[in-house]
Amino acid sequence: MFEQILLTLPFGDIVHYLSGYTVVLFAFAAMFVILAVISLPEKPVDIVFGTDGYYTKEIPVDLMKFQRFMAIACGIATIGAITTGDVFNFTLFAAFIGILNIGIVAAVKNKHVLDAAFSYGLVVMMATVPLFAGAAIIAATCGTLSIWELAGTGPAPLVARLLILVGVLGEGMAPFYIGKAEITRAPGAPYILMIHVSSLLLFLRVVEILLTV
Amino acid sequence: MIAFLLLLITAVFAGLLLHGLHRKVIARIQSRPGPPVWQEILHTLKFSFKQTWIPRTASQVMYVAIVLIAVGIWVAALWVVWTGASLLILFALYMLHKIIEHGTGLSSGSPYTKFGAIRSVMSAAAELPLLATVAIVYLFWGTLSIGEIAALQIETHTPTILVAFPAAVSLYLIILSKAHYGPFSVIEAKELVSGYWTEHFGGWRALLNIAMGLKTVVLLSAFVLLFIGAVPWWLMIILMVVLMVSVSFICAATPMLTPYQVVTVQTIWTVIVVLYAAVVWLVLYAGGIII
Repeated sequence: MFEQILLTLPFGDIVHYLSGYTVVLFAFAAMFVILAVISLPEKPVDIVFGTDGYYTKEIPVDLMKFQRFMAIACGIATIGAITTGDVFNFTLFAAFIGILNIGIVAAVKNKHVLDAAFSYGLVVMMATVPLFAGAAIIAATCGTLSIWELAGTGPAPLVARLLILVGVLGEGMAPFYIGKAEITRAPGAPYILMIHVSSLLLFLRVVEILLTV
Repeated sequence: MIAFLLLLITAVFAGLLLHGLHRKVIARIQSRPGPPVWQEILHTLKFSFKQTWIPRTASQVMYVAIVLIAVGIWVAALWVVWTGASLLILFALYMLHKIIEHGTGLSSGSPYTKFGAIRSVMSAAAELPLLATVAIVYLFWGTLSIGEIAALQIETHTPTILVAFPAAVSLYLIILSKAHYGPFSVIEAKELVSGYWTEHFGGWRALLNIAMGLKTVVLLSAFVLLFIGAVPWWLMIILMVVLMVSVSFICAATPMLTPYQVVTVQTIWTVIVVLYAAVVWLVLYAGGIII
């Protein structure tokens, strides 16, 4: 294993674990899930162009509840991606996070936000192909998807690791993140922030996985 | 623990002094007298005793929590550098700083801060060169322990900056992109008032100033440890000041880029440094040469 292991939870050959590195990511994800649970959204201020006027917008309660539910689900999926000891489960959680990121803004009645979410959704769906292909190649060549076992059996094929990296980048990191920048214009700061939190933590976890397997 | 607390207090004042020096150097290059170097310490003390409240339009819990998380992240990063722990954890903490910029901007409800936050998301390309830097340092030294990397450079008389110069440039660009008044500082550009932290005032601003001071000390000291080695404390201070002054020169002499230009420059450098990392991997591992 790459970092010092603090906790393990074996399920057959799949060993879920927390290392010194992933525990930092886990704490951060848990903190933002709690913040999504207890925070109310902001009241976005919009400037009336051409005047000195401005107005504040109230976020409807039903929209807030929907966004909160999606953000909490996204946070839990992120925690799953951080703690899992299985490459396939990781790719599933990654794909799940991509869908939930769209879900967080899906009910926002703003054409620009929805257009950006649609574009982002296309990239996310395409990114799942290299993501699952990478996991499939690892399973085919190494005979296991357990990160714990892969850590002791020598490196997985470079092409598989690169495919997983490209897949995770497609879930919302540079250079595929540009649609995501636009969807964060949507109101509901504690929930919108989860879009960014989940992508960054997913990327940080995949770095650890790729260095380990 | 007491030693770390003393280091923390020293680092906060050192970081604020470095910010003051940054402003002074920029001012002198631009033929202005500029503020005294201790101005940022005075600012932080002044903000600490200003009236502090939470704007009515803000997401109240998030508005406060994000400030505390900012301080927490950089205190943890200082701990990582101090203990010589894993470079990967330092990388993670730096990446999580992005959430701070984003959260600070989104939580207030102000359009200015929100634009700053969105620009922060767009400039995410700065993080990939940092990952490439981590990878290159690992390829050269075979460890991610900051303490071991720093010690190995002294033992082998081989500073990483000499053998992996592009990696050093990458980390330097990261420091430059996080410096105030720099060419990449689009997230706090003047057309957005102060950008993502415009609406954090009083005690909140004082805490954010402390976090930013810690960030500067952590990044500069990490640069010295990773690319020059474990040097005596007085040399560490000199090197950090030299680095800061060089950053100030660039900030003073370079206009602020547009967000599009920022992303373009970061993306081009990302491609260059990733290609360099691939070449290093091929030469060191495929070719079987290890230092």
